[in-house]
Amino acid sequence: MPRSVELEVCELTKRYSQEVSVGPISFEVYEGEFFSLLGPSGCGKTTTLRCIAGFEELSQGSIKLRGERLDRKPPHRRDVGLVFQNYALFPHLTVFDNIAFGLKLRRLAKSEIAERVGRVLQLVDLADMAARFPAQLSGGQQQRVAIARSLVLEPRILMFDEPLSNLDFKLRTQMREDLRNLQRRLGKTSIYVTHDQTEALALSDRIAVLSHGRIEQIGTPSDIYERPATAFVAEFIGSSNMLRARIVEGGDSGMIVVTDAGLRLCCSLPANDEFDASEDVSILLRPERVQVETPRGGTSPGQNRVSARIADVTYLGEDLHLSVDLVSGDRLRASLKNANAARGWAPQQAVEIVIDAADIRLLRR
Amino acid sequence: MEGTGTRPIWTFLIGPYALFLLFLLVVPFANVAVYSFHPYSPTKVFLPELTLDNYTRLFDLYYGRLFVRTLRLGLITTVVCVVLGYPLAYFLARALPRVQALCLFLLIMPLMVSAVIRVFGWIVILGRKGLANQALAALGLEPVRLLYSETAVVIGLVNIFVPFMVLPIMASIERIPPSLEEAAQNLGANWYQMFWRTILPLSLPGLISGCLLVFSLSISAFVTPALMGNARERMVGQQIYDEVLVSFNWPGASSLALTLVLLTVGLMFCALFATRHASRREAAR
Amino acid sequence: MSARSPRLLLPFVVVAYSGLLAPLVVVIAVSFGPSAAFEFPPRGLTLHWFEAFFASQAFVTAFFRVSLLVGLLSAALATVLGTSAALGLVRFRFFGREAVETFFLAPLLVPEILLGAALYLLYARLAIQASVWTLLWGHLVICTPYVIRSVTAGLVGLDPRLEEAAMSLGATRVQAFFKVTLPLLRSSLLSGAIFAFIISFSDINLALFLSGPESTSLPVHIFSQIQWQGDPTIAAASSLQIVIIGMLILLVQRIFRLRLIV
Repeated sequence: MPRSVELEVCELTKRYSQEVSVGPISFEVYEGEFFSLLGPSGCGKTTTLRCIAGFEELSQGSIKLRGERLDRKPPHRRDVGLVFQNYALFPHLTVFDNIAFGLKLRRLAKSEIAERVGRVLQLVDLADMAARFPAQLSGGQQQRVAIARSLVLEPRILMFDEPLSNLDFKLRTQMREDLRNLQRRLGKTSIYVTHDQTEALALSDRIAVLSHGRIEQIGTPSDIYERPATAFVAEFIGSSNMLRARIVEGGDSGMIVVTDAGLRLCCSLPANDEFDASEDVSILLRPERVQVETPRGGTSPGQNRVSARIADVTYLGEDLHLSVDLVSGDRLRASLKNANAARGWAPQQAVEIVIDAADIRLLRR
Repeated sequence: MEGTGTRPIWTFLIGPYALFLLFLLVVPFANVAVYSFHPYSPTKVFLPELTLDNYTRLFDLYYGRLFVRTLRLGLITTVVCVVLGYPLAYFLARALPRVQALCLFLLIMPLMVSAVIRVFGWIVILGRKGLANQALAALGLEPVRLLYSETAVVIGLVNIFVPFMVLPIMASIERIPPSLEEAAQNLGANWYQMFWRTILPLSLPGLISGCLLVFSLSISAFVTPALMGNARERMVGQQIYDEVLVSFNWPGASSLALTLVLLTVGLMFCALFATRHASRREAAR
Repeated sequence: MSARSPRLLLPFVVVAYSGLLAPLVVVIAVSFGPSAAFEFPPRGLTLHWFEAFFASQAFVTAFFRVSLLVGLLSAALATVLGTSAALGLVRFRFFGREAVETFFLAPLLVPEILLGAALYLLYARLAIQASVWTLLWGHLVICTPYVIRSVTAGLVGLDPRLEEAAMSLGATRVQAFFKVTLPLLRSSLLSGAIFAFIISFSDINLALFLSGPESTSLPVHIFSQIQWQGDPTIAAASSLQIVIIGMLILLVQRIFRLRLIV
């Protein structure tokens, strides 16, 4: 089902000085989708957001909202709602007046304002807080007022600037779910900025991973996680084992790679990539895909088996993290669930590591 | 080192200045109060009997007009300072640190240079052949007599007291996070709407503080009206100077001075109260 | 500036500052001009009026033997008085501390002209002649609060545990104060002292009442010269004062935060 493009960012560039700049950045956001900008601090995600909102001027590039140039308009005439990191609620106004702020500027009738504010208060479940002041609300409630304040104006896009980072952990998880349900219910196109990959993975339809002012990869959460395009994405999202290796054989069904330490692994061909023989690559292997077994020998097709010794065990309650030294000298991290079979692993124990050929991901170096 | 019971030490630390203030602040004004209740005598400065004449005469025409004029000029000065000072305060509050440091220096430095010098500068500018009239002449207009009038006094007072309006307002605006301004704009307000609905209400304590400060300084000013105004349209400060050093009507001067002191100290206290109250309210957030 | 300010703000600010600084600029310009008629802009450059300033007995006495002397003495004494008062207020808890603090800062609330008149009346009643000393006592009243503010700000930022650490290493309380606290308060003390000097040096309102024939301060002399239509020597005197005060304020801004004192 073809979706229309709500927002188009084209070659967005913001230059701060000779050395520091963001962009060029290009991406599209489709109607109704939840789109995240994910990256470490300083990667340019907040700058991009502020450019869309109009608080920073572009050095180059363009931003289009449904085909109309947005970057030429002053910030108060753009149809995008922004929920600030510190909520930016007006301390001298009640919850009702905060939410009604934008409506009053549009000179709507009092009755209509009251109706719309009432409706949106119901939506965020704060109907009985209308007369309170922001200082009297909890962090989570303030957050909901901030969202309501932007929502009531029915903007084309709703943007969030790290809205959950000021909340404590439990509240964050709760708010995350509320946010997702709200967005799904309303179908409002949303752009979400965060440095927390769990949030991004849980909330988004698509994610753009940024680093040093550039986009590293855009894709669905599973794209990003399962098939990271660059080493940065691989290391930023989830944890992974990375080994340097070289392709020694290529074929229609798979490839053989040899790590610097001499370990031979066979991996199946990734769908769209083409590597040449003798090319230098990085091997990417997620710790949860590293299977640890007691030694029993024998190989199955499509599997790599390597002897190893456990170097270290870290007990984390739900998970078990193992450090294993392969016979080749490479060290791998394995992450196991604390199920029956995993109990009893101890350092110095001899084990066998099983790696499915399909779980090995190759990246160009 | 917060000694809860080491009485001797703090009394030695506080004592000297406390005594000093007692003799050089409290006693002089007590003396003034005493003088104000004695009748004036041209030969003996004052007579031993007590009277309320010095205060009742403040209600007659001459003094009534004097007070009204003083309060009026003070009010005009305050209003002009608000109009000029608010944008300056906003600019300073939101300026980059280097710009702020430079502009603060340029704001405070004239404050510290004696008022006489600044008034002298204005006299040169507003004089018959001064800069202002030269500009008018260049435009082909007749020279205007600007000096020795109420207008000149207001110009001088505004020039001297604007920093006292700017500083408290600037402090107030600095406490408003810039994200509030951005939020207002994001919700559809242009800059003026944002200023009116967000900055203004939230910087009210600073505004009140500044107004009370400028008003009380203006009504007790002497040098500026003395040099830039005229003797007929004088302010209370000039009257007090006159009665103390020229006509030696010390009882009369005392009653004027006491009235003025009570008025200004009262206003300043309110200003202090307003800022303390505001900062306490914010601390509670 | 994060939010877009209106385009009119910067020009407005420039115009406002020009107005604020105009009198000072004019005074300095006139002091270098050759004409005795306070001409602006001046038609030439000359140091004539500065020479006249140094040649004038009245001006030189006012500058060096009164204003400068009283200024330095005020700075020194106000620093001592103010520092001990600030110490007592910040480091100790006692009944009525806040009231005392308000009382100590009260001189800032009283209009200077009224304080001058009140002091004059008191001196007259006690038959004390006007002299450099009467001026000094008056100045101390208005200067010390600035020192108190400055030192208080410095003390509040100082960790009292530093003194405790010194005492745990064997120093007495007094030694700990002089060896640890005082050096750390250097910048507050210096700023307070400089401010006290500036306030005293540029005071006109008190000096108008407290000056005598032998103890006329520079601003008072300038005042009377303006009233009696003097010549641009006034401007030269003023320029010198502007430069001195300007440099001192710059100094304070460098070593301390200006905002905490004013």
